[in-house]
Amino acid sequence: MLEAAQRSDDVTAAAPVPTRPVVVNDDAVRTALALHLSRISGSGTEITSFGRKSSGFSWITYAFVARSAADGERKLILRVGPPNGLFAPYSVLPQVFALQALAGSGVPVPALVSSEQDGAEIGFPFFICEHIEGDVPAPWAASELDPDHKRAIARQFVEILASLHRIDPDATPFVSLQRGDERAEVQAIAGWRASLARPTARYYPLLDWGGRWLHDNCPQPSRRTIVHGDYRIGNFIEHEGRITAILDWELTHLGDPREDLAWAMMPTFNARSRKLYGVLERAEVIDLYQNASGIAVSDKSLAFYEAYALYQAAAIQMCAVRAFEVDRFNDMRLAVMASQMPSIVRAFERALEAAA
Amino acid sequence: MSASFERLIDGIIDALQSHVVPHSNDDFVRGQVFSAIYALNGLKLAADWKAGPLLEQVRLQDDAFAAVTRLADGMIHPEIPITPRVQGNMSNAAAIEAVRDAGDRRLGELLLWASGEAARAANRDAATEIERLLRRAICDQLKIELATTPKSMLQQIAGGERDGGAAQG
Repeated sequence: MLEAAQRSDDVTAAAPVPTRPVVVNDDAVRTALALHLSRISGSGTEITSFGRKSSGFSWITYAFVARSAADGERKLILRVGPPNGLFAPYSVLPQVFALQALAGSGVPVPALVSSEQDGAEIGFPFFICEHIEGDVPAPWAASELDPDHKRAIARQFVEILASLHRIDPDATPFVSLQRGDERAEVQAIAGWRASLARPTARYYPLLDWGGRWLHDNCPQPSRRTIVHGDYRIGNFIEHEGRITAILDWELTHLGDPREDLAWAMMPTFNARSRKLYGVLERAEVIDLYQNASGIAVSDKSLAFYEAYALYQAAAIQMCAVRAFEVDRFNDMRLAVMASQMPSIVRAFERALEAAA
Repeated sequence: MSASFERLIDGIIDALQSHVVPHSNDDFVRGQVFSAIYALNGLKLAADWKAGPLLEQVRLQDDAFAAVTRLADGMIHPEIPITPRVQGNMSNAAAIEAVRDAGDRRLGELLLWASGEAARAANRDAATEIERLLRRAICDQLKIELATTPKSMLQQIAGGERDGGAAQG
């Protein structure tokens, strides 16, 4: 997230100058993709069934089939970081680190095929990974799925989170994401504070005040771990009763593991329910997580991270507003996010009251 | 006209032209879309945010400033605006929005001050009361925005599905 807070325009308080929207041209991406895959495989590659997926608010996701003499026919996913997207400028590193470091671990991830930070042929940061068969459950609405099925998925979801948090981050490339001497979890808060302080974002006094409170009262973690950063219903693929891939590692960082737990339990991502996936009681989630991870979760620490989750949600909404209004990223879904701010800020104020 | 309003209309028009028109081969549907674009261009020229809710927010801010002035009497505090800040029948939404945004900045400065160590050391009871008052006033201001916010359609917006079914991975 720190990258999102460090744009070149942050240093000036001048009024934003409307710029021409940068449009990611799907046909150009497709042509460049064929060139890229041909080059890295050393075999002419044809792209078919190429199409943009609507899910996701940040990276642009394409599904396609690559056919070549060397690799045969493969269903793949391309994710592109647009220069004016939600968290631009983008780095592929967190996602690449995740897909590389977690392959073969207890945390299922799609296999990485290729990545480029400077964009190479495609012109934007991108990575390509294998396509995983299955469904992505919707976080915002109650589904018609059988409650027993949902319970089984919810329990796996918590167990996988515990597996992620058991990994020693010092043995992974994630450790290189740490900057300076400041505590990693405090750095994460500072990143969102800087993002909200950008001169073109609307100023919300409760977020300014609450951000300072979070910074000053951030608890010491019992263990510093890899934090997914957006671990929630909707960011995994399930197939025949099993979670087969955890997705969207763009906000991954080192920090307090309880951050992921609180984020996952936000009612926003659980069809407005206080139960995980609408089926697992909070006490059960915490018990399961503690037993599987060996990490203690006190009411006080969870209350802190529940407030932090709302703060982060507000900051993300403001990133969306900025991407639409200032950086002219033409996705109407981002414009609509602005309307969620009053309810999120009010909920944050109540959560801070509970955490204090 | 506020920059946000103009940008919103431009964004809707661009979304229709870039993402809807190219994927529609139905002449009638295309006619509907182009008519909607025409109507939106008309709205851009004639319409604006409603001034009423903004004025109500400014009034709430003014009430808070007046109350803080009383409670902070004798304390060294950030500058508090003289109220009322909007005179007469101002109806220019962009101008009122600017007053509201400037008021938010002042409220933030005061809230940070009231919850800081210097204010607590000067008069703990008054500082605590000011912090409570400001938090309540800011929340009341947010309620006004909530009243003009449509019901969330995140599910449909994210997945692009009319009936809110599950998005596919």
